[in-house]
Amino acid sequence: MEHGHKQSFASKYLFSTDHKVIGIQYITVGLLMAVIGGFLAYVFRYNLAFPGKDIPLFGQLLPQQYNTFITNHGMIMVFWVGMPILLSGLGNLLIPTMVGTDDMAFPFLNMLSFWIFTLSAIVLIAAFFVPGGAFGGGWTMYPPLSAGGYMNTSPDLLTALFSGTSLMILAVALEFVAMLMGGINFLVTTINKRAKGMTPWRIPLIVWFLDIASVIFMFSCGPLVAGAFMLLLDNIVGTGFFDASRGGDPILWQHLFWFFGHPEVYVLLLPALGVLGEIIPVFSRKPLFAYKTIIYLALASAVLSVVVWAHHQFVSGIDPRMATFFSVGTIIISIPFAGIFLAFMATLWGGSIKFTVPMMFALGFVALFLVGGLTGLFLGSNAFDIYAHDSYFVVAHFHYTLFPDIFFGFFAAFYFWFPKYLGKELNVTLGKIHFWLTTIFFNSTFFLLFFNGLHGQHRRINDYSFFGNVAMEPYSTFEKVATISAICLILSQLVFVLNLFKTLSSGKKAAKNPWNAATLEWVTDTPPIHGNFETFPEVYRGPYEYSVPDAKDDFIPQNVAN
Amino acid sequence: MNIFPENATTYGQEIDNLFYLILTFVAIAFVISVVVLFYPMFRYSEKRNPKAQYITGEKKSHFKWVMYALIMLAMSDFIIMYAEHGTWEKIEEDVPTDGIRVGITGIQWNWVFNYAGKDGKVMTADDIVINEANSELHVPINTNIIMELRARDVVHDVFLPNARTKYDVIPGRTHVKWANFTKVGKYEVVCSQICGVLHSKMRNYIVVDTKEDYDKYMAALYAKQDSANAPKPAAPAIDTTAKADSTKAADKK
Repeated sequence: MEHGHKQSFASKYLFSTDHKVIGIQYITVGLLMAVIGGFLAYVFRYNLAFPGKDIPLFGQLLPQQYNTFITNHGMIMVFWVGMPILLSGLGNLLIPTMVGTDDMAFPFLNMLSFWIFTLSAIVLIAAFFVPGGAFGGGWTMYPPLSAGGYMNTSPDLLTALFSGTSLMILAVALEFVAMLMGGINFLVTTINKRAKGMTPWRIPLIVWFLDIASVIFMFSCGPLVAGAFMLLLDNIVGTGFFDASRGGDPILWQHLFWFFGHPEVYVLLLPALGVLGEIIPVFSRKPLFAYKTIIYLALASAVLSVVVWAHHQFVSGIDPRMATFFSVGTIIISIPFAGIFLAFMATLWGGSIKFTVPMMFALGFVALFLVGGLTGLFLGSNAFDIYAHDSYFVVAHFHYTLFPDIFFGFFAAFYFWFPKYLGKELNVTLGKIHFWLTTIFFNSTFFLLFFNGLHGQHRRINDYSFFGNVAMEPYSTFEKVATISAICLILSQLVFVLNLFKTLSSGKKAAKNPWNAATLEWVTDTPPIHGNFETFPEVYRGPYEYSVPDAKDDFIPQNVAN
Repeated sequence: MNIFPENATTYGQEIDNLFYLILTFVAIAFVISVVVLFYPMFRYSEKRNPKAQYITGEKKSHFKWVMYALIMLAMSDFIIMYAEHGTWEKIEEDVPTDGIRVGITGIQWNWVFNYAGKDGKVMTADDIVINEANSELHVPINTNIIMELRARDVVHDVFLPNARTKYDVIPGRTHVKWANFTKVGKYEVVCSQICGVLHSKMRNYIVVDTKEDYDKYMAALYAKQDSANAPKPAAPAIDTTAKADSTKAADKK
């Protein structure tokens, strides 16, 4: 099992087929993209608070650039930060070690997946440098704005192919190819390569959730890939799939997009919930509450996730009677997720809670997501959505769901598994400072924006002083508070960067199982060798055997036979 | 500080009431959840409770607490659904047939307003068409205003914050929506769907007049149209699709 032969730098760190290296590569690229996404956010937030002023480190922001920046901020944060970090990054790092095997089922496909993903990121960034610049019509890319010559496209085929719009579509398509390869690997590895004794009900929650997320992704991405192809054809050869004057229909794209786009939310949410499912039991020293039921709830939500998409289109021109159906679907899907969160909260009751840094991020995630989830009730109600749709209420709502999901989920996972996979102990004080600064500035950035939205502030406008309902106190002050907080939120991440580099250069070597956790990845060496286990482990019990009565320790690892 | 901007329509208050109804449920759920989340952090901290209990949560007697919460949530959900459905029907499904018809057409980057001409129909040859930045659409108070919503080039979205209504406008489709204004005033019409470079500058007004002022305003408009038309033949019809096609053809060449 030990692949002990000498490897060159390139084959060890760049073109590695080791799942751990690929996982770290995914997370690294994801974090680099987060820097770009964060910088875009800084520029347009600054412009919103101080319209027309020169932006430090940037200069003047033109209206078209503003559109481009908000579009790419959304695209990057969802597809090039959330997806690679939560799904591909954590999936690659964790699945083989947690199911007790040496590597993914198809290591070469795995490497290919990462490099196609990297190519997609390069294509996306390249769009900023072509004539006409990157696409600036919203991350949802609604045609006709994204098709047929209204926006930086050109009659010449090659120029059209290398336009900002086409490049963004290509980048999305490439990324989906990469994620599909990853998803196949996750499923085959979990199904075929589990350690002896690792029955389905002994698989850790996060592995279940990563696999369910992959299944949702694979089921829902087909329509969008088809839609992206049609949109690309509309752009480069002048077909009219989405052109009403030639028999096409712009709303077709909206259905194809949201049929994927809403399940995508759960693709991002489930891996992060899996992180909570691993961290909360460890630091409560208690089994995960209702582990099996949680998995059934997640499976139910996976099925329901494909009948909620049109709640993004309540006011887009679908038959108004249809809206009621999707409104019911939307509120029904809130129930399994509420059940999962309640089970996490129930895990705390009767526990012995240790407030470590990963636990703080996990609990912070639950608390913040509570606001995000509950404000979803306003929007799921189709009548109120008439007013709130496309307003800052929506912006605040989805940042309250996706920011905890992507960043708190990632940070919790980072502080939890870093000692295992990189073998060094992180600084606890810096970690706690990072948590508190992030939590405080996140709230002060987004909470007030709910009020701006309710007072009629609509989205994607570069200068609100033009609009009477929001160009007044206290809303323009809220705008400035949000901007200053957003800048502080971004700067707070320097604490994280400092901790990361300090630990990498001079951190203490981490113990084999610093948190006394029971799942299989803690059985490996720190950091795990290429091939993970000296001998394949055998599994005798479920993943959350904490505080078992009459046991010697307060936890029993999965590979311990009585 | 008012939560909402001034309401100016018959159905606007229902939207605001719906917000407060949902807020009530959300506030209760929030308080309960915060207690359930934060109380154990205090009560079951490592210091106060050094030895954890072994509870798997698979037993019915344990899981029932989660079930109760979920049933409460489902019930609140359905109460909200029930309460809001009438409002949704009123605004989106039951569009009145009697009233004054106006045309609102989104173009890059302005709202074009059509008043019916002498034939009483909108989107015909004798319409009075207002296509200017920051223009005003005058409508009478306490009258059903039936809005024919169209887009000429890309997707836009008519958003009337003070009327609490909003609807996407899509090339190739006509959406018919309505509002009945109860207050005289000047209200913004903005675009709530990103539509290109100058999306941020799309802002026109709906001006609600008393019936007398409205009649006077319209009489002046008709007089102006008559004098403009007198020496020349009637202005050509506003054919939105033809116009969109020709611009597109120009773009492609």
